[in-house]
Amino acid sequence: MIISGPVLPIPRANIDTDQIIPAKHLTTIDESGMGEFAFTGMTDGPALVAAHPGAVVWVAGENVGCGSSREHAVWAIQGIGIKAVISPSFARIFHENCYMNGVVPVIVDAALIPRFAAAKTITIDVANETVQADADAPVPFEIDPARKPFVLGGGFLKYLHSKIPEIRAWEAKRAAS
Amino acid sequence: MKKSLFDKIWESHVVEELPGGNALIFVDLVVAHEITSPQGILAIEKNFGDQLYDPNKIVSLIDHVAPAKDTATAIQAQTLRSWAKRQKIRFHDIGDNGICHVIVPEKGYVTPGMVICCGDSHTGTLGAFGTFALGIGSTAQAGAMLAQVLILQRPKVMKIEVTGELAADVTAKDLILTIIKTIGFKGGTGYALEYTGSAIRALSMDGRMTVCNMAIEAGATAGLIAPDEKTAAYLAETTLKPTNWTAQQADPDAEYDRVVTIDGSAVRPVVTWGTNPGENASIDGAVPADADPRSLEYMGLTPGTAMKSIEIDQAFIGSCTNSRISDLRAAADVLRGRKVSVPTIITPGSVGVKRQAEREGLHDVFQDAGALWTHSSCGPCLGMSVGVIAPGTRVVSSTNRNFPGRMGDGGRVHLASPQVVAASAVLGRIAAPSDVAALAEAVPA
Repeated sequence: MIISGPVLPIPRANIDTDQIIPAKHLTTIDESGMGEFAFTGMTDGPALVAAHPGAVVWVAGENVGCGSSREHAVWAIQGIGIKAVISPSFARIFHENCYMNGVVPVIVDAALIPRFAAAKTITIDVANETVQADADAPVPFEIDPARKPFVLGGGFLKYLHSKIPEIRAWEAKRAAS
Repeated sequence: MKKSLFDKIWESHVVEELPGGNALIFVDLVVAHEITSPQGILAIEKNFGDQLYDPNKIVSLIDHVAPAKDTATAIQAQTLRSWAKRQKIRFHDIGDNGICHVIVPEKGYVTPGMVICCGDSHTGTLGAFGTFALGIGSTAQAGAMLAQVLILQRPKVMKIEVTGELAADVTAKDLILTIIKTIGFKGGTGYALEYTGSAIRALSMDGRMTVCNMAIEAGATAGLIAPDEKTAAYLAETTLKPTNWTAQQADPDAEYDRVVTIDGSAVRPVVTWGTNPGENASIDGAVPADADPRSLEYMGLTPGTAMKSIEIDQAFIGSCTNSRISDLRAAADVLRGRKVSVPTIITPGSVGVKRQAEREGLHDVFQDAGALWTHSSCGPCLGMSVGVIAPGTRVVSSTNRNFPGRMGDGGRVHLASPQVVAASAVLGRIAAPSDVAALAEAVPA
């Protein structure tokens, strides 16, 4: 799986999920339609999105996605075409929500962020875990091995469903002990 | 190896170890509210019909927008309501509801040693009862309802020992804001925070919930406090059963990945000046010289401004952080016989808290003071309903997040304890309860 395309550079620290999508838009029962509201919680968010049409990779600052657990933040960036987020560090729940939706979370050294933010095109080889700014040498990154299958092919709920007999056996054993 | 309390809870819930330091962790209780649950419910129904691992291990409720404010939120509530009825899941509808992190302890659903998850980042609140409780996204919550497990990477454990005693004017809110400032806004990322020490032991259960509630504001996976007699006494009233709490303790000399010691006697009442909870200062201090210019630009402040000189437009007391009965009592003690000078909203954490407050006459105190006493919801804290603030306006709030736009587009939020919010509401500027008392003494009877 290769993700390649233009960049949305917003390399600021601590962009919380309220800034990615304000709570007033969390009033639906499904994931659709969130792209319209992406980054509307940032004063200059809509202008930044408009200035980078067709972006598929968001280059963010440290602690990206902190705050509220709302998975709507991932649905919102997906709604404007984002397929990967590059950051020196992710807040835990946003990180997990990226994996759950096949948005590839790419952790790189903070020193590399300015270069990625300045790139015209970023190419991510998901299977081989490398990320490349324009024609630079590819940089390795790590995808969590327990979650990589879900990034490549989805199937998170099916996987857990297949584990139910084992989980019930575990619970019965716990009750007996 | 000597084990922390977190280690013990984690290890007693591992169904299967997974690569990368991950595990399938059994979840004893899933809490489902109307904003983040419908998506997972629909995903389960689409792929697996009416299957759930065990409806008895789910509690559902309406809390964020209660009652519904429009058709969209009415559909959210109705989706949850009809699902709960169909699946025979415990459901707290409007009239019997409250903020999920207030309701779950109040109704006796939490006991020490449990693993609890909810599609809500402040779920760590329940760690006050010696549990591993964490916020998750909608998809992970769907997984937990379908298979009763989460895939989790094992966090490291940080012991936060608060020694000594808090001063009489210092609250649990001041303590957790000080902890966040000490370890940093993302200093807890990848950790569970295990709070210990004499100042933690001295906190009421309400105070302990406040301290655990905001662990997420330092990025932590969870916060937890080992149970003691105080926990058992609280749970005796809510669960109507004796609680076996003595096993849910860290080993003496347990090993931790990081230890942070805070002198409780040095903690002062604090108020935030910036756009994350770690950006706070003593109420008697000033906006720091090295403050982040981006935060100050948003907040309309300059370095060196005395905190107590900052004028406010509104005040709010509520949220899963500070809406419990002791929070309301503390606010009432400040407001009794006084008048607010800015629009002030006071929102109890649950119907149960509301009724208790009214039995004690606190609603009269608030309304005599000119504050609006509302029904329970999450509403104003996240700018969703019942008190959204206007762009450029400044609110002092007992909530947990001062992010840009959190309580309304362009709104400016200063986080503080309920008593500081109450005092600020009276004086129209950031103020301590002692400032209000001093004012009263200066006015001839």
